[in-house]
Amino acid sequence: MTAAAIEFQQVTKVYRKMFRGVEVPALTSASFAVERGEVCAFLGPNGAGKTTSISLLMGFFYADFGEIRVLGYPPGDVRAKAQIGFLPENFAFYKFLNGERLLRFHDALGGGDKRTAGARIAELLAKVKLTDYRKLKFAKYSRGMVQRVGLAQALLRDPQLLVLDEPTSGLDPTGRRDVREIISALKTEGRTIFLSSHLLSEVEQVCDRVIIISKGRVVQTGRMKDLLGDSGRVEILVTALPESLAARLTEWGGSFTGNEHGVAVVVDQAHKREVAEGVWAAGHDVVQIAPIRGSLEEFYLKTVGDESGVA
Amino acid sequence: MKVWTLALNTLESFLHNRLVLLLLLVGAGIVLIMMAPLLQVKARITVQNTSMVESMVLEAISQVMGFMSGLGSLLAAWAATDSLGSELKAGTVLAVMARPVKRWEFLLGKYLGVLLMMAGYVVMMVGVSHVLAWMGGQHIQVSPLAMFAYPLARYAIYAAIAMLCATVAGPVVSMVVVLAIAILGDMVLPSTPAWKPWLMWLKHGLYYALPSMELLSEERFLSLRQATLHPMKWQEQAVSVLYGWDYALVVLLVAMWSFHYRTLRRD
Repeated sequence: MTAAAIEFQQVTKVYRKMFRGVEVPALTSASFAVERGEVCAFLGPNGAGKTTSISLLMGFFYADFGEIRVLGYPPGDVRAKAQIGFLPENFAFYKFLNGERLLRFHDALGGGDKRTAGARIAELLAKVKLTDYRKLKFAKYSRGMVQRVGLAQALLRDPQLLVLDEPTSGLDPTGRRDVREIISALKTEGRTIFLSSHLLSEVEQVCDRVIIISKGRVVQTGRMKDLLGDSGRVEILVTALPESLAARLTEWGGSFTGNEHGVAVVVDQAHKREVAEGVWAAGHDVVQIAPIRGSLEEFYLKTVGDESGVA
Repeated sequence: MKVWTLALNTLESFLHNRLVLLLLLVGAGIVLIMMAPLLQVKARITVQNTSMVESMVLEAISQVMGFMSGLGSLLAAWAATDSLGSELKAGTVLAVMARPVKRWEFLLGKYLGVLLMMAGYVVMMVGVSHVLAWMGGQHIQVSPLAMFAYPLARYAIYAAIAMLCATVAGPVVSMVVVLAIAILGDMVLPSTPAWKPWLMWLKHGLYYALPSMELLSEERFLSLRQATLHPMKWQEQAVSVLYGWDYALVVLLVAMWSFHYRTLRRD
């Protein structure tokens, strides 16, 4: 059986301030798993423990308690790192290099063959739309260009697992769309992607799984479609709405809005049959009945709000 | 291969570092200024004052070389501190350490990068020494290899100590510690005044624990007048140089151990 891409079991990390004896828990008994081939969103408010978790799984920090496995290996193991592409938050770079040379440097560190590096790098630069700027010094790069190069270096060496910390940070809408498309393409290829982001609408479009962390604890984890699948309400598109039904909709807590195609009725699942039959009985037609899926943003705010005692 | 890639990248970062270039330019400027009196004295040589002028020339050359040697120590310590400190400060270390690179490989790569730069500096220093001696009408008869090996071993020690400090502290603290060690190392030499009797054990202890730059000084064997003041066999020289490299290696291993357990984050 193949090991999960990422496994956290009861992981605890406490920051200790030297000489002051102050202990700040960053992660408390965090447990979650990301299966291979999944695109997983790692969400949480600032200071929730996202970067700490990512640093732990990359082997930058050591856990005080618990066990972490990355692609079946302990964090920091070079066998695991050889299969990981990592984009840190605020990707930093050597200012004296240009995009192409930075990628060559990272390719060499990854054990790449110098003779074939040129073609691979050219392909990646084209993918992130930086071919024309490959010789430009980093000092002259915009924030978005730096992020694109960062993404390109993460994609070097054909990684099985991509760990992306705020990959769309600093990108304009076109850049964000490009990143989304790259992630979707990687997902199709069966790569595992672990993604931390505050842009929930984008996360919702590309991710299969969600892990929400707050105050160092995992407060929600599950498949996106399971978590957001059922809001308990449906949208019924009808050609026209009888007046008698409109009055009853208010009693049921429903609502309706008219448009050029007809009327969109939103009502609890329990009343969908009554609405449909009422419309048909009045001689009108039902065009579509669709369950209303909750948005990730609503779900996130509800979850984190509950956890922090705000909502 | 990865270590070498890191070393070359570190060397390149120094070549683009304005502070290193400034330090080298200031050093070159000071050497040029110090050469003026040397040339002036040399120009005043007559049959009557030959001996006195020669001695003044030698003194001037010795001072220039001493200055270059000291500047080299400072450069080695600073470069080692900065090579690690700047990676941590900028956060470039995160992307690098996400590659299949072991922590000791990273540190060794940084260290070798510093040594590469210092090797270039020592070559320059040896070149300047020969030029100065030639201008002063003297000839250095010591093997250039020995003149290269001694300072490099010294700089290797300073760089290793600075790198060890940089694994646990910031650049400024690291530099202060290295300077303190250098000064303390001089204070505990047997030739220095005795300490209070109840502190003599400390002086002896520090003498053996701290790096002995006296052992690694070119002054032990280098004479501009003769081949050597104290003729040394190559075996003796090899032992001295080995002492330096061994000391540097031990400190570097401790630095690797310290870096292994360090938290990696943007400082």
